[in-house]
Amino acid sequence: MYKLFLTLRYLRSRKIAYFAMAAVTLCVAMVLIVMSVMGGWLDQLMWRAKNLLGDVIVENRSYTGFPMYEEFIAEISRWDEITQATPVIHTLGMLRFPDQPITRTVSVVGIRLDEADRVTDFRGSLFYEKFYPGTTTLAPARRPLLGLADTTLNSAVDGQPFRPPALPEPYAGALREARRRHAESGSSEPFDPQSTETETNRVMREWGGPQFPGVFEFVPSEPVLTGEPLPGMIIGRDIVARRESDGRYHRFSWLPKGINFSLTLWATSDSGMVDVTPTIAHFRYVDDSRTGIYDIDSRHVYVEFERLQQLLRMEEGERVDDGGRIAARCSQIQVKVREDVTDEALLALTQRMEAVYQRITQDPEAGLDVDELQMAASVEAKTWQQSQAHIIGPVQKEKMLVTLLFGIISLVAVALILCILYMIVLQKTRDIGIIKSIGGSASGVASIFVLYGAFVGLVGAIFGTGLGYVFITNINEIQDWLISWREDWRIWDLQVYSFDRIPDQMKVWDAIIVGVIGVAASTIGSLVAAWRAGTMHPVEALRYE
Amino acid sequence: MSNAAPTTRPEDTTGAANPDALLQADGIHRTYQLGQVKLNVLTDCSLHVADGEFVGIMGKSGSGKSTLLHVLGALDVPQRGQVRFDGQDVFAPESARRTAIRLLDFLSPFEKRRNGLRRRQFGFVFQFYHLLPELSVLENVLLPRMVAASTRAWFARREAARQDAAAILERVGLGERMKHRPNELSGGERQRVAIARALVHKPRILFADEPTGNLDAAAGRKIMELLSGLHKEGQTIVMVTHDPGVAEFADRVLTLERGKL
Repeated sequence: MYKLFLTLRYLRSRKIAYFAMAAVTLCVAMVLIVMSVMGGWLDQLMWRAKNLLGDVIVENRSYTGFPMYEEFIAEISRWDEITQATPVIHTLGMLRFPDQPITRTVSVVGIRLDEADRVTDFRGSLFYEKFYPGTTTLAPARRPLLGLADTTLNSAVDGQPFRPPALPEPYAGALREARRRHAESGSSEPFDPQSTETETNRVMREWGGPQFPGVFEFVPSEPVLTGEPLPGMIIGRDIVARRESDGRYHRFSWLPKGINFSLTLWATSDSGMVDVTPTIAHFRYVDDSRTGIYDIDSRHVYVEFERLQQLLRMEEGERVDDGGRIAARCSQIQVKVREDVTDEALLALTQRMEAVYQRITQDPEAGLDVDELQMAASVEAKTWQQSQAHIIGPVQKEKMLVTLLFGIISLVAVALILCILYMIVLQKTRDIGIIKSIGGSASGVASIFVLYGAFVGLVGAIFGTGLGYVFITNINEIQDWLISWREDWRIWDLQVYSFDRIPDQMKVWDAIIVGVIGVAASTIGSLVAAWRAGTMHPVEALRYE
Repeated sequence: MSNAAPTTRPEDTTGAANPDALLQADGIHRTYQLGQVKLNVLTDCSLHVADGEFVGIMGKSGSGKSTLLHVLGALDVPQRGQVRFDGQDVFAPESARRTAIRLLDFLSPFEKRRNGLRRRQFGFVFQFYHLLPELSVLENVLLPRMVAASTRAWFARREAARQDAAAILERVGLGERMKHRPNELSGGERQRVAIARALVHKPRILFADEPTGNLDAAAGRKIMELLSGLHKEGQTIVMVTHDPGVAEFADRVLTLERGKL
């Protein structure tokens, strides 16, 4: 009992202990902040990775692709665990911007939009689809032009009547529907918080006219759909818009919705030969996608699966030499499974898929030739974790490394506690002699100082967790405050990091683990002083001047 | 100062157990190593203290009085010789004896016994009071009871211990100063707190090391009257002093010269 009593009394009376507590507080808060930010980043990355490709990916990592995907999809779609499977084609291409001397290398992805949406919630990443629901399609479409409405409004600037801009149907109706939904949701956010204001919208805001998310070419006549129907192309947002340092996107007036892009592609034959003659195809910019991963959003464009298959000559055909059938090819199959499928079951599912695919392709009825059989032999099914291990693995290691580094820095607190407690032991030498003279044992006296260290750690861990929590949950506000002083003080540069906000969640288990380590480290820091106190000879202690 | 003249008589040095002795020391040797120099502080000291006796040990400064008191009170360990309390050895046999302290000493039965004696049977009063400055007068007095009790026992007996501490503080005339800190008391008052602390667990022997050494004459006299009163009530006391006036209060005075009684 006396140990606890004296520990608490010494804690209260020795002001120097507050420095030790402050050191533990800062170290615990520091490690927690690092763990939370890095952990949050990793979680977001994993979540995005999972939502990007589906739960299982079947591929052979070759632009040539692999055959018999329809038969395979048809078979696995009958399995209870499978919700949706969709074929995808990946290839490289050159994207030429309209009326601009700009050409960029892009990764072209052929998708079936409806199926891809069921596998990866792809529509959720689209910009125009959000404000004009139901209008984004990869099928041939015409270009919408912003025209003048047939009604008038009075200008808020000079009170003069003017004809406000208006969109053609179905865009005008879709926008009304989106605005109604937004109003009903009761959200306090602006209708379009992710874009900077366009020139049209700025003028309309001043005049009191309607606002239009996105960029549309304006014509001073009736709003119309113009041009010949062209296949749609969804473009990575970082290709067509510039990400500002505050995370919003600036859209260029010279890149309105519906504008015509040309794509240059090189077909690859089933034997792996690349056609030296490029294929040039025109697409209409129908929407832009933001997955949140900069590498993807700055390089990927999405076109209709069947159209791309045709351009790359990967569709079903007739063999010239023997008149036999050439199987259609895709380069990836993305599979969505039921929510309740565990990681272990998912792994087993991939093995089952590989076995099924091999069975289908090796069936003589399939009639595959040697080249096709070779393509099929290299097909693998992977879980999303396996597939994204090259992205997730380094971030996991980075999280561990940074936490470890900050943990090592925190050893300073242990050294500080050691010094402070040793100093207290020297100051309390006579007390130690007194306690021993009234029967306190060596271990009993030592435990006073061990308890002391543990209490310093406990108080430090509690305050550190509190400080860390307050900091983490307000980290974005703190950054905003810093930026309000100087823009250079932006820590989380949104042009570099793919996420809009600094991760601001603290995990309970992180707090518990760091808190326990804080208490343990502080206790360890007290051991030397405790050992010194415990082994002090009572007579020498009583005589200590 | 004293009512009865103390007697000085030679101690039994045969090492045989004295059946009347509450505390008996036989052939105590205590040596200190100071750098290269070996200092023989106690050389073959033997003495016995009967139950209810007030024994004074006199000697010049540096003669080894305090060391002898520490050995008798089980605070220090002699290299040779044995102390018996109530007929039982206080120290381990010489072959297994160590003078240094180790954290794992609590595993040793003799260390346990020595701690137990200091917790329950012995009380100490020091020249410099040795009160804990962070604690109030009452808390200082309660401390030995806390040390002697487990956590559960303490909560069960806390109120009784508090009452005992209050009673002993009333007895030493500090009933009104229980909440004061030691630095708010005079030297004489501090020493009375130290005496109250030494008596709160009702020890069988009270060891006093120069109890008046740091006090003026008037305060010293009051302290000696207090100790004398306690002795008359049956308290066994072993006191070390260099002051013959203080030694007069003892029933019997032993003189220590160059480490020998």
